[in-house]
Amino acid sequence: MLNNSVESEKKMAEVETALNSDGPIIQAKDVSVFYGEKQALFDVNLDFEKNQVTSLIGPSGCGKSTFLRCINRMNDLVDIARVKGEIIIANQDIYAKDVDVVALRAHVGMVFQKPNPFPKSIYDNVAYGPRIHKTVSTKDEMDYVVERSLKRAGLWDEVSDRLDQPGNGLSGGQQQRLCIARAIAIEPQVVLMDEPCSALDPIATAVVEELIDELRERFTIIIVTHSMQQAARVSQKTAFFHLGNLVEHGDTDQIFTNPQDDRTENYITGRIG
Amino acid sequence: MTNPFSTEAAGLQGRHNAETIFKLSGLTAIVCAIGFLVFMVGSIAWTGSGALRESHVQLSIDLGPEKVDPSNVEAASYQTIVRDALKERFPEVTNRRDRRKLYGLLSPDAALELEQYVLDNPSVVGGVADIWLLASDDLDIYLKGDVKTELDESRRKFSDLEIGLADSLVQEGQTRRQFNTRFFTNGDSREPELAGILSSLIGSFFSLLVCFVISFPMGVCAAIYLEEFAKKNRVSEFIEVNINNLAAVPSIVFGLLGLAIFLNFFGLPRSSPLVGGMVLALMTLPTIIIASRAALRAVPPSIREAALGIGASKIQTTFHHVAPLALPGMLTGAIVGMARALGETAPLLMIGMVAFIADVPKGILDSATALPVQIFLWADAPQRAFEEKTSAAIIVLLLFLVLMNLLAVLLRRKFERRF
Ligand SMILES: Nc1ncnc2c1ncn2[C@@H]1O[C@H](COP(=O)(O)OP(=O)(O)O)[C@@H](O)[C@H]1O
Ligand SMILES: [Mg+2]
Repeated sequence: MLNNSVESEKKMAEVETALNSDGPIIQAKDVSVFYGEKQALFDVNLDFEKNQVTSLIGPSGCGKSTFLRCINRMNDLVDIARVKGEIIIANQDIYAKDVDVVALRAHVGMVFQKPNPFPKSIYDNVAYGPRIHKTVSTKDEMDYVVERSLKRAGLWDEVSDRLDQPGNGLSGGQQQRLCIARAIAIEPQVVLMDEPCSALDPIATAVVEELIDELRERFTIIIVTHSMQQAARVSQKTAFFHLGNLVEHGDTDQIFTNPQDDRTENYITGRIG
Repeated sequence: MTNPFSTEAAGLQGRHNAETIFKLSGLTAIVCAIGFLVFMVGSIAWTGSGALRESHVQLSIDLGPEKVDPSNVEAASYQTIVRDALKERFPEVTNRRDRRKLYGLLSPDAALELEQYVLDNPSVVGGVADIWLLASDDLDIYLKGDVKTELDESRRKFSDLEIGLADSLVQEGQTRRQFNTRFFTNGDSREPELAGILSSLIGSFFSLLVCFVISFPMGVCAAIYLEEFAKKNRVSEFIEVNINNLAAVPSIVFGLLGLAIFLNFFGLPRSSPLVGGMVLALMTLPTIIIASRAALRAVPPSIREAALGIGASKIQTTFHHVAPLALPGMLTGAIVGMARALGETAPLLMIGMVAFIADVPKGILDSATALPVQIFLWADAPQRAFEEKTSAAIIVLLLFLVLMNLLAVLLRRKFERRF
């Protein structure tokens, strides 16, 4: 499974340069997903721009999470799931045979619906990614990375004096920001978020939303949300899914003020959903 | 106006009755179960407590120069000295047959103990000393009041003559009862007053050690593989069903397997804790696998997703996050399995751990027996005094079982995590 390290480093460098060039950072081409016999996603074509926040909206069960989980191949974990089509990140089809999901997920981080910090210290939660990917070598460097990640996640001021305390002792909103800090500690290019605020109270939600806006400077963010207000607040692009189909996508303003499709209009005006 | 909420309302009475009957029968069942348990443990403890006391007889023993050479203390015949002391104490016993009964009041080991006493206290040599010596099992039983004297002499082992001798000793204050440390420091013996549980306890310890060293790592690895790595398909389902079946196989079958494979095929040493432990490991393995899988399944999938989501490999996810969280559960399962193995007799009989072993085993290759087997052997022994030894050994076994289960509960409490 482990490639020869020189080669993998070279590959990493290639990916790095490709990721830093202009144009869409992620392109989904005819992506269909099947759970056993049942098709959950039908030929989705969607591009994502660099340093933008894209919202995926739609009624529950329409395949938003399924699509999101295709982008870092989390669907591999579901035995019965089958993915057809291509997802191209940095000119590389991530479903090609020679792609290692471990390397892929170092570039495409993920934040889950329910905050899921490891039952370890706050420090270890953030340090885990850099540690396994060996992106830092010294203790000082690690301290720096942990501090930087926690600062970017807006959590540093609240936890700097208790880094050795368990991460699951924090409040829900803090836990979710810890999970964000953990995801960005390895400097991914893309951060996927699956309803990151659905388990949080309105105040914690506002904090996380603000954070997402700040993170856009460094990362490309794709966020699944069931709240249209949230989509309107945090995202520049919005894609609307319905029954496994991508119905419409475009600038957030346009989707919310001038939807082209009846289904989109019905959804945002609350008639379906 | 009738009360619409009255207990008299139609149909309610029947429901209340059903509930009362159900509650009562449940309560009865619980009371019965507790009653049986208390009765069983109580009667065993009552019988077994006798084994914790031993009787001694005091004799004035002549250690004068014609009996013991002060320059060569070890050369003396202590057997003769003890017998002479008895003859002197009871000069009226002259008949040969009666003499034998007289000598039988003391344990055959009394002479040895006297020698040890003299070696430890050289100052007693040369004079007459009052020394306490270990009583035989028959006298011990009589002194504990367990001989039915009202029975006809021909129907009891302790004759009228012996009763007379014993009573005379008691009257003169020449008997005493003491805590029996021998029971914990001796190996097995043909003489009940000398028999102890140490050899079988050590045998059990070595067997369990081997059992744990083999079955825990193997069980945990198997569980981790099945739970975290194996694809869920026909084959893994088949394996799962069979592991569950194995857990229900009677333990003697594993004994037969051990006999056929470890002894007859591989030629490992018979009666050794090594083979005993291996057989017990076969038996415990399914239990550990099942408990470990349950512990792994209890780790929330969100932890796995978290680790995989930041690019940990499957192995890293399992060994950095999932396995450590499941470890207390796995250990608990292992301890429960070990407790079961500790009480197991049948498979050990099959591989010859049932021999008479007086020596304490020094390693896993020595011949040994195990605590439950020792209980089985003593329960089978003809002497009456073994009855209380049997009960006392059962108490010790139960004590260890309770301790192990307690440890399991504590472990679970201590490491129980809210994820
Ligand atoms: N692991 C799975 N196994 C089988 N079907 C699934 C699985 N996950 C999701 N699905 C199905 O796929 C469809 C889309 O689900 P999902 O992507 O979770 O929807 P959303 O996130 O938009 O609410 C649903 O019909 C759901 O039942
Ligand atoms: Mg979802």
